[in-house]
Amino acid sequence: MIPRPFRRRFALLAAVFLCVGLIAGCSNNPFPAPLETTAEDGSPWKVRYGAIAEDPQTLDPQVMYDAVSRRVLEPVQECLLEYQPFKTDPYELTPCLLRSLPERVERADGGIIYRCTLKEGILFHDDPCFPGGRGREVVAEDVQFAFQRIADPKVECPGLSTLQDYVEGMAESYEAARKTDSFDYSKPISGFRVTGKYTFEIQLKAAYPQILYWLAMHFTAPVAREAVTYYDGKSRDGIARDLFRFHPVGTGPFQISEWKRNTRIRLRRNPHYRTTVFPESGWEPSRDAELKPLAGKALPLVDEVCMTIFKETIPVFLLFRQGYLDTMGVGKDAFSSLITPSRELSAKYKERGVSLHRETQPSTYFLVFNMEDPVVGSNRKLRQALSAAFNAQEHLNIFFNSVPIVAEQLLPPGIAGYRKDFRNPYGYNLEKAKALLAEAGYPNGKDSKGNVLELTLDTTGGSANERVMAEFEQRQFEQLGIKVKVVENPFARLLEKLDKGSFQISGGSGWGADYPDPENFFFLYYSKNFPPAGKNHTRYKNPEFDRLFETMATMENSPEREVMARKMNDLLSEDVPHILTLHRSTFSLTQPWAPQTQDNPLLEGGLKYAVVDYELRERLRKDWNHKPLWPLGLAAAAVAALAATLVRARSKQ
Amino acid sequence: MAIMKLLDQMWVQNLCAILGFALLGAMVWSLSRSERWTAAWKRLRRDRIGLCSLGVILLYLVVGGLESVSVNTDSGGRTLLQTFTKFVPQERSYAAPLAATSLSVSDPKPLLGRHLLGTDALGRDTLVQTLRATRSALWIGGLTSLIYIPLGILLGMLSGYYRGWVDDAIQYLYSTIAAVPEILMLVAILLVLGKGLGTMAIALGITGWVGMARLIRGETLRQVERPYVAAARAMGQSDWKILTNHLLPNVMHLVLIKFVLGFSGLVLAEAVLSYLGVGAPVGTASWGAMIDASRSELSREPLIWWNLTSASGALFILVLALNLLGDSMRWAFDPKN
Repeated sequence: MIPRPFRRRFALLAAVFLCVGLIAGCSNNPFPAPLETTAEDGSPWKVRYGAIAEDPQTLDPQVMYDAVSRRVLEPVQECLLEYQPFKTDPYELTPCLLRSLPERVERADGGIIYRCTLKEGILFHDDPCFPGGRGREVVAEDVQFAFQRIADPKVECPGLSTLQDYVEGMAESYEAARKTDSFDYSKPISGFRVTGKYTFEIQLKAAYPQILYWLAMHFTAPVAREAVTYYDGKSRDGIARDLFRFHPVGTGPFQISEWKRNTRIRLRRNPHYRTTVFPESGWEPSRDAELKPLAGKALPLVDEVCMTIFKETIPVFLLFRQGYLDTMGVGKDAFSSLITPSRELSAKYKERGVSLHRETQPSTYFLVFNMEDPVVGSNRKLRQALSAAFNAQEHLNIFFNSVPIVAEQLLPPGIAGYRKDFRNPYGYNLEKAKALLAEAGYPNGKDSKGNVLELTLDTTGGSANERVMAEFEQRQFEQLGIKVKVVENPFARLLEKLDKGSFQISGGSGWGADYPDPENFFFLYYSKNFPPAGKNHTRYKNPEFDRLFETMATMENSPEREVMARKMNDLLSEDVPHILTLHRSTFSLTQPWAPQTQDNPLLEGGLKYAVVDYELRERLRKDWNHKPLWPLGLAAAAVAALAATLVRARSKQ
Repeated sequence: MAIMKLLDQMWVQNLCAILGFALLGAMVWSLSRSERWTAAWKRLRRDRIGLCSLGVILLYLVVGGLESVSVNTDSGGRTLLQTFTKFVPQERSYAAPLAATSLSVSDPKPLLGRHLLGTDALGRDTLVQTLRATRSALWIGGLTSLIYIPLGILLGMLSGYYRGWVDDAIQYLYSTIAAVPEILMLVAILLVLGKGLGTMAIALGITGWVGMARLIRGETLRQVERPYVAAARAMGQSDWKILTNHLLPNVMHLVLIKFVLGFSGLVLAEAVLSYLGVGAPVGTASWGAMIDASRSELSREPLIWWNLTSASGALFILVLALNLLGDSMRWAFDPKN
């Protein structure tokens, strides 16, 4: 017990402390202090703030295959080739770790050789896995190690199933390792030859021009053997350390300096970075004033990247509004207050200097039919009817704020073979759908015996949004007078059903391009790609389509190839193994101090090109976060008054 | 699986609904002839709050009943409630209560009609959806009660009457079930059995009998000491006869009170499970699902409040009425009055 005379003083003191604390602690900057205050050259330390939705699952370059992980790994781990940041129609490959694009040589026996040369003097990040903690130079053996890891069954590289069909010896190495249950890293893959310190050759069994795109993916990015041994090896020298998949050691412009699970990831500039510079050209002439000054500049353009993990979207919007985030994707929540009906930025944000960007990902979303199903699989008119009953425009009005584009064809914009003027012959048209349904043998939705046609739609279930979407899809089909039963599945269960073919119609499928080539979309319908090995979930089988696919898959882009792609598109449009819904497209915002300096959705952020005007940000942040102090004073006075009254009441007792 | 298929048939569902209501009617009729119950009813008639609650509950029963019976129309099976509300037009997406234009982000378009409580994401009238959701609540409450009440009475009475190892075994069983956090157990059972009103009732029944069994066990322990039980024993009546003829009628009033109060808990459980995404299947209107969907609606601009308000309002009124009626009944049956 505190003696009574002191108690009053104690209460008063507490009240005073409370007020002082409230006023002092009222800077609302949610981020920790930057790693440094000044850069090496004395200029202020520039930090770029962004948001990601969850922790990356894996940062092992040979395994990473999802967008969030990619966003984090992209600035840390460079690939042999990369995409030009401004050219998106068509996309263009440029050298990154390689000195130039690989040289293609045809062998007498039909095989193809790609000759590659690495840039000299590129260093891995400084990391304790190297002697003395200093990163060593990247050599051809590191690329070889990456190729061996692709073939290692224990690594489980998602790209293996495709690459082993083309790279000589990869399948054999994989089989040998599976038999002995361990991969022998002393034996090189026969199709990968190191020919010098910086030069190597990749030998292909057959023509496969897409191999260049694979060289721009992280699967083939060089990996230091020391890093894998150090982080995944048995000997840990009593030091606790992350696994390799949480601690990538790359050559990129940034390296991970802090990863607090579920909270944030901080990247710090790599002081040895010399691989690439800001491109000299590629953008529209109208952006010269903005981008010309950057041309040829050393990358990266900021010193630190702070990515905060926000599982909910509301705080992202609030922090962006206060100026604490430099970019944000426009989600459903904030849409109406940011975007006007005419699809422009609202005046309030325009005034602030915020700019709006629209990005169309090379992706297509669809519902799939099971072509082996006795009802929908054998009845083409029925599938056409269901496709024509689906109002894709309304679908994206309700669920995506009308931002994406209605998919008229399988190929998305930017991919060779996409036709701007093409219209899906079985796009939304309810009258046509009813007529087709009658032709299919179900006039008014009833079969010859008068029974209502009943179909089953499998979807993923759980969230309220998925539920409403399933109800929407159900209603589209039920407009025809048929009955649709919706079965909700956990995601893994739906995948299992798709693999086994035990479904009739499945919702929520889609394909985002691994690389911008029509082959990467058409292979979904090639009859030799049936699950579980392949991704042909519809089990579509058409000999003519297969014949065209086999020819076009290994061709270089050319007018003839485009003609073939058209033919294949027409076959799919007529056979309707799927109901096309949309090409994904999103709005994003950037603050006036962080203009967008790359346009390529394949770069997942392209953080090495990111810029930030430090002073402008400081000034605007202060402007936007005017905090009136009187409510705090009022609250403090109220608390003090209350405390005083209580104390007086007690002492009177 | 065959049973699940059968339950999907329209006539089976209609039959179940009619049987359910018939059962409820028969129960009320048979109880009304017992002396103790008529006395309680007399007392209840003077209790204005109790009567009002009863009226509200009857209203819900009628609405739920209308939604439970389907008829064949040109466009497939439709419930009676859907047929009665056919005049309400279907919009394209959200519309505010009584608004004349849609709430679309692109240009607002004129609506086909006015909606008293607005419409949801798919343009369905919120009032109609709220009324339709009554069915899920009543079915869950009714079906689960059919499972957990007999189970609770049987196990509770056995354990109170025989004591000894029977009591030990039953107590062990229900203590174990009670030790597992209820919501976790429900979610686990539902993930195994799959979504659906039937499976939800089974899951709630499995976890729900514990409270009932405890209550009945206590009351049985008390009643067994009474002279009338000793007299029945002395006259050589079998245990089964004593249990059913003498003990059961004397614990029945507790069952009724617990049933009414428990019903409100079940209605809430349905909403909670649907909110967690393991409840009512797609295509079944449910208050919990409506509240779940309104999570993202609350963070939109302009704010969409009407779905949340009407679903939780309907839920609140039903639960309040059930609780008030339960209290009134406890008072009416109290021998001290």
